[in-house]
Amino acid sequence: MVAVDPDEELLIRIADGDPAASRALVARKLPRILGLAQRMLGDKTEAEDVAQEAFLRVWRQAPKWRPGEARFDTWLHRVSLNLCYDRLRRRREISTDDPPEVVDDGPAPDRGLEAEDTGRRVGQALAKLPDRQREAVVLCHYQELGNIEAAAVMGVTVEALESLLSRGRRSLRVALADLVER
Amino acid sequence: MTKERFQALAEAYGAAIAGWPAAVREEAALLAAADPAFAQAVLARELQLDAALDALPRATASAALLERILASAPSPRRRWRLWLAPAGLGAALAGAAAAGLLLGVQLGQSSAVSPEASAQAVADLDVSTVQEVG
Repeated sequence: MVAVDPDEELLIRIADGDPAASRALVARKLPRILGLAQRMLGDKTEAEDVAQEAFLRVWRQAPKWRPGEARFDTWLHRVSLNLCYDRLRRRREISTDDPPEVVDDGPAPDRGLEAEDTGRRVGQALAKLPDRQREAVVLCHYQELGNIEAAAVMGVTVEALESLLSRGRRSLRVALADLVER
Repeated sequence: MTKERFQALAEAYGAAIAGWPAAVREEAALLAAADPAFAQAVLARELQLDAALDALPRATASAALLERILASAPSPRRRWRLWLAPAGLGAALAGAAAAGLLLGVQLGQSSAVSPEASAQAVADLDVSTVQEVG
């Protein structure tokens, strides 16, 4: 059993075909899922495809959702990560050694050139991490999942998660050595 | 909590103790209070990395993506159609059975409705039922 899931009420209404509930869930979850996919894949178009496919699965799952069995957010992260891994596997099959160019959203009014450059470099450093380390960093740092939830999403123990996080952050520190103290 | 454990947690979860596992936060806060110089040095180092990671641009959803996703969401009409489809089939089967019974009565015991006619009746009724709600 899990604590009351804040998304369950919306899922029930979605299963009843309530368009307002669908809009509310998309507003609540799309930025998270798109962010997750973009950080995992480093590619905006692919991230959008993953987000769209993830929501197709949400619509299919809503009528079958069994309250209390799992948190919806955890389930959605797992589904989205699986879709990301499908794409990462396909990339490996066509044997690209270089990680994809990280797509930048373009200059933002509140972001200077230096911040843009840092952002681009962070994206490249993330892309070079082993997949599981990147997943751990993305879930805990960017998605702000707690350690138990992140470990559940990844299907590992909290100790294993901690190890992946430590190694991931250590590599990022090395890659961004001129920006951070080593 | 030992200093080594404090440092290991910071290196894994970053500078914000609030984001560390719930089970260790209190102990970590106690250690930070007992040895603030050590804790600040460890956390400041991780804060630099956290800040660098936060420079990664946030993903923003395009209007086109939003539209595509919402267009794929279940709608009341679609559910109505799904709900009616089996009902339409049921009605069709009942209709076909009634038609068969009627024809059987009219033509006598030696006559029967051909399977093809029943199938056609089912198909006709089902199609008309679905078209009504489409």
